[in-house]
Amino acid sequence: MPIVELQNIRKVYDTKVAVEGLSLTIEPGTMFGLLGPNGSGKTSSIRMMIGMTVPDSGSVQLFNKPFARTLLDKVGYLPEERGLYKKMKVLDQLIFLGQLHGLGESTARSRSLAWCERMEITEAIGKKTEELSKGMQQKIQFIAALLHEPDLIIMDEPFSGLDPVNATLLMDTLVALRAEGKAILFSTHRMDQVEKLCDAIALISRGHLLLSGSMREIKSQYPRNRLQVVFTGDDSFLSHPGIVEAKNYSGIAEIKLHTEADAQLVLANAISRGTVINRFEVIEPTLEEIFIENVRASFGDAEAGGRVDA
Amino acid sequence: MRNIWLIAKREYTERVHTKGFIIATVLIPTLMGGGIFGMETLTSHSKSASHIAIVASQMQPAADLKQDLEAGKDTKMMVDVVAPAPGVTATLDKQIDSKTLDGYLVIHQSSPSQQATFDFTPRSSADAATSNAIKDSLHNVLDREYLAQHGATASEIETFMQPVTVNIIGKGGRPGNSKASFLVAYVLFFLMYMVVLMYGMNVARSIIEEKTSRVFEVLLATIKPEELLAGKILGVGAVGLTQVAIWMVAAALFAARAGAMSGISVSPVQAIFFIIYFGLGYTLYSSVAAALGAMTNSEQELQQLNMFLMMPLFFCMLMLVPVINAPNSMLSRIVSQIPFCGPLLMNLRISISMPQPWEIGLSIALILVTMLAILWVSSRIYRVGILMYGKKPNLPEIMRWLKYS
Repeated sequence: MPIVELQNIRKVYDTKVAVEGLSLTIEPGTMFGLLGPNGSGKTSSIRMMIGMTVPDSGSVQLFNKPFARTLLDKVGYLPEERGLYKKMKVLDQLIFLGQLHGLGESTARSRSLAWCERMEITEAIGKKTEELSKGMQQKIQFIAALLHEPDLIIMDEPFSGLDPVNATLLMDTLVALRAEGKAILFSTHRMDQVEKLCDAIALISRGHLLLSGSMREIKSQYPRNRLQVVFTGDDSFLSHPGIVEAKNYSGIAEIKLHTEADAQLVLANAISRGTVINRFEVIEPTLEEIFIENVRASFGDAEAGGRVDA
Repeated sequence: MRNIWLIAKREYTERVHTKGFIIATVLIPTLMGGGIFGMETLTSHSKSASHIAIVASQMQPAADLKQDLEAGKDTKMMVDVVAPAPGVTATLDKQIDSKTLDGYLVIHQSSPSQQATFDFTPRSSADAATSNAIKDSLHNVLDREYLAQHGATASEIETFMQPVTVNIIGKGGRPGNSKASFLVAYVLFFLMYMVVLMYGMNVARSIIEEKTSRVFEVLLATIKPEELLAGKILGVGAVGLTQVAIWMVAAALFAARAGAMSGISVSPVQAIFFIIYFGLGYTLYSSVAAALGAMTNSEQELQQLNMFLMMPLFFCMLMLVPVINAPNSMLSRIVSQIPFCGPLLMNLRISISMPQPWEIGLSIALILVTMLAILWVSSRIYRVGILMYGKKPNLPEIMRWLKYS
């Protein structure tokens, strides 16, 4: 049973097409990365998922049912920019947001306290939001999105503005939630986080879907035809016929192959020539490379330079 | 309903706990009361104390006039009597220029039996108080003189010149005080004006605050924009009512202790209508304010648009005096039916002299209809506008927003 199912949704603002023919599916227990350059329609898509705006055409299904506002009690949303009342005390704020999600006051209070402890911000409870650091505010926002134990967690740029320690804390929390079977959708520009966390991704640019599917599937569509070899001794193995191009930076060679299968042949060849191999690595295309390549193609190479924000 | 209640409750508790609320609650009645009583004391105790000269050929009226002006009921002037001579006006003009004289009066009268004419040259032509005092004194002096010439005795003149007093008696023979009831009407009018404007603007500000802090994004992920708007208007309005209630209770306590002598009292009917019209007026104006808030991105931008809120209120101000002077004139009847003026002007009429019941009913109905229409438009502008950041929308864009489903 998919948690989110978008079918061919389209949204036009006045003259600008924000989203065009977008379809995607998110399964329970997955971490889904929504990627795209700035202004590509990520936020517009998310807003349609939670009914903040209505698509002009196409359908939105949550928890296998057509969209209805009552379903939002099972959705947690962390917007891109911190949205908290500046003058309100942290605990009051969390209780208020929890109540809006349908919790009773006492439940909201006890869960808020437990989460504050888990997020290591107990000392902030009695303070006003404006007195807190950006990172703390982000954590409070994060807690607010999770208080009502949603089955679908949508996070727009959850790690921006956090130091590595806190970013890891949040990531670990998200991983733990995934293990509980929750579906998590997040959008980000940080490809390393996506590679580490996501099971599936969708890449959109200018409102169109460029790529989607599980991380494995997507990566496997791109050839693993590059090698990095650290060696000592004879470098004659670099003239192997399977090698298209090789650069030797005195003992570190970057190699491009004709096919993936040539990798093992090159290694065997080097060993047979008596070269000492210190490290041998088949380089996967990074998500960042895939991202840039696809986005460039969508814009047309000429204008890609300034607009791609990876 | 639960969401509306939650939003309203948050809005209310947060606002009531701010320092601003406490300060406004204390300061506004202090300033207003102080202002009104201050004005009252100043105007009742200030006597015209100008220094003038009288140029007269006949001494008799000039001497009487001098006495009346120097020791009269409302005046305490310094008066020099000068005999006419060539060049005397030039000397007096010089004294006016050197600011030692506030004006001079020339009495043209060749013989005692002849009708006199009077020319007054004030230092500032805007000094109406002095010329009015002179006019009143002249009237007084000339009347006395005429009576004396026709053989009236001094005591007869005194009785004749006695001012007439009309006692204002309320219905059922209760002693009334028309000055006090005007005062109450004024106070209620300005209170309404201030509270409607202040809390209407508060709604707009609160929307902008949520917009700039992006709290909206979180709230709209769970509740509908209409619920948010309704909760906000209710919450802020409840704060306004609380404030008014505090003032009214304080005023009642004050009246119970010290008010007996001043004769100022707000009747329950006045209080009830005040609350009804406050509710209507506040909702009407705050729904306009909500639309303004949703269209703009910052307080500065709001400042540019708040004339839409101010203009009808300003119009009511202009109508204040005509309505107070003739609460049942055709003009008063018409302007108090304009929905944007009704809350202020109909309430004013109610506190001066009760209008026909159908007039009250009609004004409430008109306000309600307008209010619903504006709420409908506002909620649409609000729904789209709060998600728009960046540039301020122009009119065609706003018209398009109304069509979005």
